[in-house]
Amino acid sequence: MNREEIREVLLEIIADIDEEADFTALDADKPLRDQLELDSMDFLDIVMELRKRYKLQVPEDEYPELATLNSCVNYLEPKLRDL
Amino acid sequence: MSDYQLIIIGAGLSGLAAGIRAARFGRKTLIVDQHYRPGGLNSYYKFQGHLLETGLHAITNFAPPERKRAPLNLLFRQLQLSRREFPVREQIGSEIIYPCASLRFSNDPELLQAEVEQTFPGCGERLYQLRQAVAAQDPFAELPWQSARSFVAGYLKEPPLENMLFLPLMLYGNAEEDDMALSQFTIMFRAIFEEGLFRPETDISVFLDMLVRQYQSFGGTIRYRAAVDEILIGGGSAQGVRLADGSVITADAVLSTAGLPETIRLSAPSGWQTPPAAYSGKMSFTETISILPDISRDAVRQDRTLIFYNTSEHFQYRRPQSLQDSSWGVICFPDNFAGSGSGEFFSIRVTNPASYPHWHALSSEAYAAAKTACRKEAVQASEQHIGSYGQAIVQQDSFTPLTIERFTRKAEGAVYGSPIKIADGRTPWTNLFIAGTDQGYLGIVGSMLSGISIVNRHLLA
Ligand SMILES: Cc1cc2nc3c(=O)[nH]c(=O)nc-3n(C[C@H](O)[C@H](O)[C@H](O)COP(=O)(O)OP(=O)(O)OC[C@H]3O[C@@H](n4cnc5c(N)ncnc54)[C@H](O)[C@@H]3O)c2cc1C
Repeated sequence: MNREEIREVLLEIIADIDEEADFTALDADKPLRDQLELDSMDFLDIVMELRKRYKLQVPEDEYPELATLNSCVNYLEPKLRDL
Repeated sequence: MSDYQLIIIGAGLSGLAAGIRAARFGRKTLIVDQHYRPGGLNSYYKFQGHLLETGLHAITNFAPPERKRAPLNLLFRQLQLSRREFPVREQIGSEIIYPCASLRFSNDPELLQAEVEQTFPGCGERLYQLRQAVAAQDPFAELPWQSARSFVAGYLKEPPLENMLFLPLMLYGNAEEDDMALSQFTIMFRAIFEEGLFRPETDISVFLDMLVRQYQSFGGTIRYRAAVDEILIGGGSAQGVRLADGSVITADAVLSTAGLPETIRLSAPSGWQTPPAAYSGKMSFTETISILPDISRDAVRQDRTLIFYNTSEHFQYRRPQSLQDSSWGVICFPDNFAGSGSGEFFSIRVTNPASYPHWHALSSEAYAAAKTACRKEAVQASEQHIGSYGQAIVQQDSFTPLTIERFTRKAEGAVYGSPIKIADGRTPWTNLFIAGTDQGYLGIVGSMLSGISIVNRHLLA
């Protein structure tokens, strides 16, 4: 997957988790949680969904890598490149 | 290999919510319940052609879908259910009635604020301070027990007002006698006074169906009339369960929502040596449900959803010294929610504190007679506040602490379970967990969040 595809997947996962999610004003360099008013429990679901879809394990100490949309893409790019 | 990755004991609201989480993320999950229907404390039954709900008066924690941080909406997201497609009716307004004063409240917290200002001059600002303090609390911090009574007294310094505010908060969610844990107070204060009350547009059976269908759509299995007789422990961990029919089902982990006394009983043969009595709550209730024809609606108040009443200025949240204490309780009008249409009938429910030991001591003939007498007493007590309706009742049913124990196995019919809660859901065995009432979150929204958070914490992470 390339960066754009990863980005698409992430937005799709978030939309799936949260029917109220509104991406129109989303700043890819600002924390997702604040902008989308997500709870830490929702956040865990992004991790769980990545595991379910791509058998990808995100260890707890690497959760901060998933803070913004861009940091997510940076973090996932090497891991999902060959998919 | 085990038969299941996870067995959940109980298809009440906490068990169903836990099951949806586990199944959604691919855990092979089995829910077992002794009853033939889901819902546990919050179920329903058919009575002479009427569908009667057993638990639901009003669901706490009302929030419109766009308030994303609200517990109710978090709950829907976690279960991947659409909040937009769950039509609800808000309360039209409720009231707390004491001999010398009464206070109205609704889903707009400013109504309570204004009522307090008017009824208790000088207390408006203090209530406001209390609300700020409650908003700043973190009820999930797993801190040592702190007294809610002294916390509130420190802000309000007005015992009559304190007694009034504690009545709904304790009645709708306190397992302890007399006082309440500050964390639990915080949860209930926000749930009832800041957020508010509502009910599903239809009835609880539709909500339960929605949960069961969601669970099954994720691949979960559910079995009714499947009572667990023993939780099998071996080599220091839970191995599975043995059902009443003798069959054994193995699992990698077991989550019990049956309450602590029942869970301890089920694990006792294998060595859980704690005496269950310490975990048996004392607060139980009787409820009288009266069905009336629509034409007699004008005889009673129609402008309230719930009326919490106390005929004394003092409020002692305690197990009574008699079968039932009708001097305080709550009157619920399930048909008085915004937009409820009128049908052929309407109902009135009266809930009063009751003593399990007193009911337990009765012979079966005496039990039937006591139920009749208590129904009459409950109706008469409520008539003082809403007008007389006894003569118009066409059908009536009631339940007692024994009924609650029989259908849900909550020891001594303690609706809110053990006064000691196990906040982290752990037991002496690494793969046996507790969720629901005895983990600590109460009520419909609370018990579901309990199931969710215990699965997230111990079984998905
Ligand atoms: C009269 C009344 C009114 C209420 N009103 C409200 C209200 O208005 N609003 C609100 O929010 N809450 C209300 N509640 C509280 C709410 O119903 C409960 O807090 C909530 O339903 C608890 O869910 P739970 O899953 O923790 O427990 P339960 O519902 O008790 O679920 C436990 C399940 O485990 C099963 N079980 C037990 N032992 C075994 C066994 N050995 N084997 C198999 N299965 C077993 C039981 O059958 C039961 O289904 C009310 C309760 C009552 C009784």
